[in-house]
Amino acid sequence: MIHLTNVTKYFHTKHGLKYILKDITIDIPDGNIGILGRNGAGKSTLMRMLGGIEFPNKGTITSDHSFSWPLGLGGGFVGNMTGKANVKFVCNLYGKTKQETQDIIIAVKEFSELGDYFDMPIKTYSSGMRGRLGFGLSLAFDFDYMIIDETLSVGDAKFKKKAKEALKKKIETCNIILVSHDMQTLKEMCDTGLLVYNGKLQFFKDINEGIKVYNEINR
Amino acid sequence: MKIKKRKPSFVFFSVIKALFLRELDMRISSGKSGIIWTFLEPFLQVFIFIYIHVLIKEHTGSTSMDLYSYSVFMSSGFVAFNMFRQILTKSMGAFGANKGLFSYKQVKPIDTIIARVFVEIFLMTCVVVIFLILGFLFDIDNYIPKNILLVFLSIIWLIIFSFGIGLLVAIGNFFYMSVGKFIGIISFILLIFSAVFFPLNNIPKVAQDVLLYNPLVHFMEMIHGFYLYGLNDKLVDYVYVLYWTIIPIFIGLWLYVKLEKRIISQ
Repeated sequence: MIHLTNVTKYFHTKHGLKYILKDITIDIPDGNIGILGRNGAGKSTLMRMLGGIEFPNKGTITSDHSFSWPLGLGGGFVGNMTGKANVKFVCNLYGKTKQETQDIIIAVKEFSELGDYFDMPIKTYSSGMRGRLGFGLSLAFDFDYMIIDETLSVGDAKFKKKAKEALKKKIETCNIILVSHDMQTLKEMCDTGLLVYNGKLQFFKDINEGIKVYNEINR
Repeated sequence: MKIKKRKPSFVFFSVIKALFLRELDMRISSGKSGIIWTFLEPFLQVFIFIYIHVLIKEHTGSTSMDLYSYSVFMSSGFVAFNMFRQILTKSMGAFGANKGLFSYKQVKPIDTIIARVFVEIFLMTCVVVIFLILGFLFDIDNYIPKNILLVFLSIIWLIIFSFGIGLLVAIGNFFYMSVGKFIGIISFILLIFSAVFFPLNNIPKVAQDVLLYNPLVHFMEMIHGFYLYGLNDKLVDYVYVLYWTIIPIFIGLWLYVKLEKRIISQ
């Protein structure tokens, strides 16, 4: 369960305040949650707030669950360190032992299929390669919730398929919060839906219902 | 499934350790000459100033012997001052340089400053050890401190002081970029007016009174006074230094607590 109490979030723009959420109080039951909304509606902001790395202007968001870092296109990596060094850094961050770190490095190297690039600085990577590294890395850790921002569209067709399968396997042991524009992926991965629209937040027990409403808005 | 929560203290230590190793890695591997330059710089500085000192003595034909070992005086002052300056400049950039890492929830902005302070302590320790070895090899007079414990405590105090000022500057710099430029100039001026090159005893009373407003002068006098035979700490006002330590830390922490969320999400 994730509790939102009187949550208000806005950004300062040239034309005054832009509200993402306006005084929202809601309890979100556990499950695989898909976040819907138009471009700029605040999907990613909401996702980051749920993950605890962005904060509402008013109100509180509480949960006893552990959340992953937001998996997106290569945020959270250090450009002039190698892929391997970055993996080591995250392992240290999560207090893994030497043995665990070794195992994770091997697993990530194998999954991400980076080959020799694994020992090259991240700044030489393409965005697809960064995404692959990030995705592989996140699979090695255990969270209650994985927060994913369109990562599934990373890489070539073959890798996409592999990523999807790996994620499906992961979902058996943890939940996900997924932001995506691909309705097919949302249907496949998520059970429940959250729609961000005009400062309001609507919860759907069934993702298909959410997608229906979202399509109506988009028309 | 419920993932076991780690203890907050354990999380904190993991974060500091991870950041420390990362910073050290970057410092040492920054360019091919990173590691050499880190250690060479202090020796060059000290060497140049000792050379100037010798030149002046020869030029003026002064035969008066110093009451203290000049090379040890310069080395101890420079190492301490450099650490202060490094902590200040490194903390200043800490938030900006580590912005990307705030997407890991457990990394708090202040951790990046603490990690950088530890990196500076580590590097300073290496430099000190090298200086001591040189002192032993060349059999330099008074290379072992007069009072090791008090020198050590003075350095610790200087580190805490530097952290407080560094935290303030880091917060200021994050919201107003011009603070950084200002600090760059200030730290150069401070080098001249911090009694790094000369003991306070050697200058007129009026100048002493003015310089003693600068807290760094007190630290330099403290360290020199405890290190060298022939010098003492009688000009140091400990209460004054204590104010300079406590007040910046409290203001810094207070501002930090208020602004932490804005720093993370900016």
